[in-house]
Amino acid sequence: MKGRRIGITALVPPEVVYACGCRALDLNNLVPESMVRPEDKLCAWSAVWRELLLRREVEVDALVVVAGGDCYTSLVDAQRVELAGIPAHHFIYPFSGDIRLMREQVEALAEFLGELEHEVMDEVAELKAMALRVHEMRSRGELGSRDGFLIEVSASDLMGSPARYREALENLGEVDVSYEHRIALLGVPPIYSDFHEVLAELGMHVVFDEMPYEFIRHTGRSMAEVARSYARYTFALHLRRRLEFLRKQLRRHRAEAAVHFHQYACHHSLEEPLLRGLCRELRIPYLSIEADLPGRTPEQVRLRLEAFAERLGEES
Amino acid sequence: MIVGVDVGSRTAKAAYLEDGEYSFRVVETAKWRTLLGGRAAEAATGYFRKHVPAELRVTEITTAIHGTRRLLGEVVDVIVDIGGQDTKVIDVRENGFRMNDKCSAGTGAFLELIAKQFGVALEELGGLHLLATRAPEINSTCSVFAQSEVVSRLVEGYSVEEVVRGVHLAFARRIAQMVPEHAQKVALIGGVARNSGVVEALREVLGAEVLVPEEPQVVNAVGAVEYYLRRKSG
Ligand code: SF4
Repeated sequence: MKGRRIGITALVPPEVVYACGCRALDLNNLVPESMVRPEDKLCAWSAVWRELLLRREVEVDALVVVAGGDCYTSLVDAQRVELAGIPAHHFIYPFSGDIRLMREQVEALAEFLGELEHEVMDEVAELKAMALRVHEMRSRGELGSRDGFLIEVSASDLMGSPARYREALENLGEVDVSYEHRIALLGVPPIYSDFHEVLAELGMHVVFDEMPYEFIRHTGRSMAEVARSYARYTFALHLRRRLEFLRKQLRRHRAEAAVHFHQYACHHSLEEPLLRGLCRELRIPYLSIEADLPGRTPEQVRLRLEAFAERLGEES
Repeated sequence: MIVGVDVGSRTAKAAYLEDGEYSFRVVETAKWRTLLGGRAAEAATGYFRKHVPAELRVTEITTAIHGTRRLLGEVVDVIVDIGGQDTKVIDVRENGFRMNDKCSAGTGAFLELIAKQFGVALEELGGLHLLATRAPEINSTCSVFAQSEVVSRLVEGYSVEEVVRGVHLAFARRIAQMVPEHAQKVALIGGVARNSGVVEALREVLGAEVLVPEEPQVVNAVGAVEYYLRRKSG
């Protein structure tokens, strides 16, 4: 598979994809800007990338999809793509977080992709360490919400090559962001392409993006390390562990409020009462937003965000 | 004097606060400028708030909370704001918010359509409702289908009053779908709240206490003034 372009969905370890001499393309990153409107769909994320692949608007040589422990909608959509002739591999997270089982999964992935070169893993680990520093910059208000988000969310496929990702990291300049409120964004990343800008306009600075943070915090310089790290991917584990992790992160990032983003027809929507409860426990305001199709942030959602900012303004 | 204006899709409302007393004016949206008499407002809200010269602008969600609190003198669980083209349900306790702006059923436009169908003024619907002691089932949640159901019920022998009552109950059920279950105290605001038939139907369908401020149409304009005062004092 050397040099091949592999379509992936979050979260497939990009260190393994690159170490096997392939290039990763996170299909989800194409969705927010896409104009494709699938006729049969549950969640728009997987339906849109499925259509992009079926219509050959995006070419990949193979597909690796997270087939267990996270999203079953993408599992079905990926199988439709596979049955249309694109080779696919199914990557399964162990619910128990068992490192041995995780190791088997990353080994199987490597086997599907080709031969391993460990130096590439070193490079990816180094890039992710840089991305973590960028994350801290944003949290300190030295980087805009959107720039920080793009860096974190792009760690899932390293923008198509480690070199390109390094360049993006190195080109970031320090800025002084003025903002009124520190916001944590929980749940799946927003499907609206301008969501972080809209928040920034309203004085809300995102200091913690839950899922993109997962993209930068897991890595490893060997298969053993990769397995150990990814076994802690919270979206695939028992909710108790995710809530525990979030409790710590919300405190550590001094989040003043949380916006929970979820998708129509996604099982993660069922987590709403738990996340709401966590915010109540931490005494921070919580806003839940359910989205469906990609595009710019709709007026109605803007109105809700604006009212949320007004409420935060009154409380502070 | 402190002026709060609410420029919505059908009407524009102003609340004037002078010596601790409120006075109000309501005009068609296109004439909103006449509310200001050449000056800027202290606070503006409503769908067209961004077009109004004002010291500050605030969403209808925040003004509904402040205005209701001031005019009712108490805090409610949920506010239902039925406007000409959209209906908003604000969960005050949970800071939640739902809005129906995709379809006219469940908004003031639906009742206007029905009033026209009966050849009565919108304001008369409430009175007709109270004259009926039974109501036919109107099932359709779509305003176009509901209109043909209205004809069917009349043909079946129900009186106009009874059909109006049935329509109000269908309308209330539509709105109740947006109201969170925990709501025990609900405030109804917006022009439609003056229709006592809708108020009664909502009480019946929700099984909750439904409060209507004396001037339901100007709640958001009052809320704009109240929000302004709060910002200034804080
Ligand atoms: S938002 Fe939910 S349903 Fe959609 S791809 Fe993500 S996990 Fe799957």
